[in-house]
Amino acid sequence: MSYRRRLLELAAPLLALLFALLVGGIFLLAIGKDPLQVYLTMFRFNLSRLDSIGSILYKSTPLIFSGLAVAVGFRVGLFNIGVEGQYFIGALLASIVGFSLHGLPVWIHLPLVVLAGMLGGMLWAWLPIVLKLRRGAHEVITTIMMNHIAYALVLFFITSVFLDTEQEMVKGLGSPQVRMPKLLETARMPTMHGFLETLGIELPRHVYLNWFFPLGILLAVALFVMLWRAAYGYELRAVGGNPAAAETAGINTQRTMLSAFLLSGALAGLVGLSDLLGYFGYLDIDFPKGYGFTGIAVALLARNSMLGVILTAILFGFLRRGAEGVQAFEGVPMDTIVILEGVIILSIVVAVQIVNWYVRRQEKLMKRRQVTMERAGGD
Amino acid sequence: MRKQRRIALMVAVLFAVGVLLSACGQADQAGGGEDKLKVGLVFDVGGRGDLSFNDMAYEGLNRAAEEFGDRIEVKYLEPTGGGENREELLRMLAEEGYDLIFGVGFLFTEHIQKVAAEFPDTHFALIDGYIADLTEDSNVVCLLFKEHEGSFLVGAAAALATETNKIGFVGGMQIPLIERFEAGYHAGAKYINPDIEVLVDYIGTTSEAFKDPFKGKELAMAQYDAGADIVYHASGASGTGVFEAAVAKDKLAIGVDADQSLTASEEQRPHILTSMLKRVDVAVYNIIAAEVKGEYKGGYHIFGLADDGVGYAVNEYNEAMIEPYKAKLEELKQKIISGEIVVPVNNAELEQFLQDLGS
Repeated sequence: MSYRRRLLELAAPLLALLFALLVGGIFLLAIGKDPLQVYLTMFRFNLSRLDSIGSILYKSTPLIFSGLAVAVGFRVGLFNIGVEGQYFIGALLASIVGFSLHGLPVWIHLPLVVLAGMLGGMLWAWLPIVLKLRRGAHEVITTIMMNHIAYALVLFFITSVFLDTEQEMVKGLGSPQVRMPKLLETARMPTMHGFLETLGIELPRHVYLNWFFPLGILLAVALFVMLWRAAYGYELRAVGGNPAAAETAGINTQRTMLSAFLLSGALAGLVGLSDLLGYFGYLDIDFPKGYGFTGIAVALLARNSMLGVILTAILFGFLRRGAEGVQAFEGVPMDTIVILEGVIILSIVVAVQIVNWYVRRQEKLMKRRQVTMERAGGD
Repeated sequence: MRKQRRIALMVAVLFAVGVLLSACGQADQAGGGEDKLKVGLVFDVGGRGDLSFNDMAYEGLNRAAEEFGDRIEVKYLEPTGGGENREELLRMLAEEGYDLIFGVGFLFTEHIQKVAAEFPDTHFALIDGYIADLTEDSNVVCLLFKEHEGSFLVGAAAALATETNKIGFVGGMQIPLIERFEAGYHAGAKYINPDIEVLVDYIGTTSEAFKDPFKGKELAMAQYDAGADIVYHASGASGTGVFEAAVAKDKLAIGVDADQSLTASEEQRPHILTSMLKRVDVAVYNIIAAEVKGEYKGGYHIFGLADDGVGYAVNEYNEAMIEPYKAKLEELKQKIISGEIVVPVNNAELEQFLQDLGS
């Protein structure tokens, strides 16, 4: 049974994916493209170029962190929709620490910047969870609200407090960038080119794959071990599974929820750092949005498995890189890819529901059969 | 058990299809035209369809495509929602052997700089952004506009046409670029009539401010209620809200970037006094034309009143409305071109300008 259940659980996301590709195919047909050709181009473009592979991993990096943040929340029974705002605040603090602390060596400055990011995420998770535990305010509502506050706050800091006014301009022409000062070199996350070269892999220079990617994988493994091998992980799952029972069993549910949610926030604080420290090097009004929401899909698709998150994040990275390819080579508009992504998320939710229902029904049938068999045996 | 086998089979089929797909990927497809000049353009996020800035760039690209027909091949791309892949799109076009690549908007500044350094044989054009230390031999050209000069003229037009001595300005995102529109407009109005009052509002501080017609309408309504009878908007797609407000209050509005009388609805047209033209289309077209002739030059290309890069719109719908003021506007235009009037580009310069007017 358990082998079969595993298989089913594995099949659900795959089925969902296939279904999404079918629906996406209908859209492609509707705009006059050959779906098979488009998908072929996507695969070829993604798998036959080294820079595509690097780009997929780079694009998946923020999604690993945000998927982990959401999954940790789900495991303790909390729905953290606030990853979005948490990573914005994280990026804000990281940026401030990154451009303002002069004269530090890399090995002090960089960890400080990363810690600042995590701290920012935690800070933004702290208020909703305290409101929930003390006042019973639902975290879904409060974290969504906190997202909006975070966007506005970050913009305020960029445009009104730390705006970089040192940019050179032709007098009164064009537009300066609306951004904070650039981060110092000591705050930048190095790319993986040097390391990969020692392995004989010559990653094209323009791929921004950096050490946040392996860091994300390490974190996922660490969280997996914590969740399934450590006492704290057990408590976390117990609280997520049945808070009342956990409480009865002597687990301090309030404290577990608080710490797990803060952990989720700290992970969320890392989401924006790969882009900030590994690519842009400055925080501007155009800082990538939406990783937090995509993270929910990543966690759902991975069924809240820490290791699964790595795979599903890479899947989303694959789609996004593929989107560039089919846009450039097949003339498929960006919006079609957005639709495809949405359909995938929807079909996953549906597929997971159907599989759950099916498994439950099978288990019931099995039990009934066992009971009748036992009876028959007993007679 | 039968079901179990069926599911296993399904999974197997799925994998097989996947493998097949990737295997097929190796085959077929040959390259397209060889000798054609390839022109690529990357829009800004959600840019197309704004009926102003981005659509103007598209217009220029289209015109070039029509005019040069089979001699050029054009392609345009749009970044993902967060815009984080601007650089990858630029690079992809460069790798594909595109000869001339446009980045529409100042958000491309950093990215064009990086990509251009890596593809020294590819030509780039950046609209509204500034990259330092370019020369004629550089492979980047910055297309810059003197929006303040055009805004000065529509400000003067508003001052000539107003009956309440109160006019309004609705800006999109509060950034130096849009403040330049405001400064020019303000200066032009005060130049005509020092006693005129100019109401100023901004929609927001994010790029969302350029696609928020509801807020645009709300702010324009408030300005009309406060006594303004003409409102100039520099807010991209939010401007449709300003036009709606003008219709609702039976007042006038001034469009931006494109000749917006042409794209407005039937009922809005009588309410659009004119539009401040920012000829992004001309700029895009000119650069493509130069490239076709082999005369592309790097550096800075500045479009002002003198070369009709900016201006005010006259069309069949507003001809009667704008006619009485045309002589005066042309006179001002000549004064600006000759340097007799120096239009302020920001609020500090505006203050100086107003002081000089007073003395």
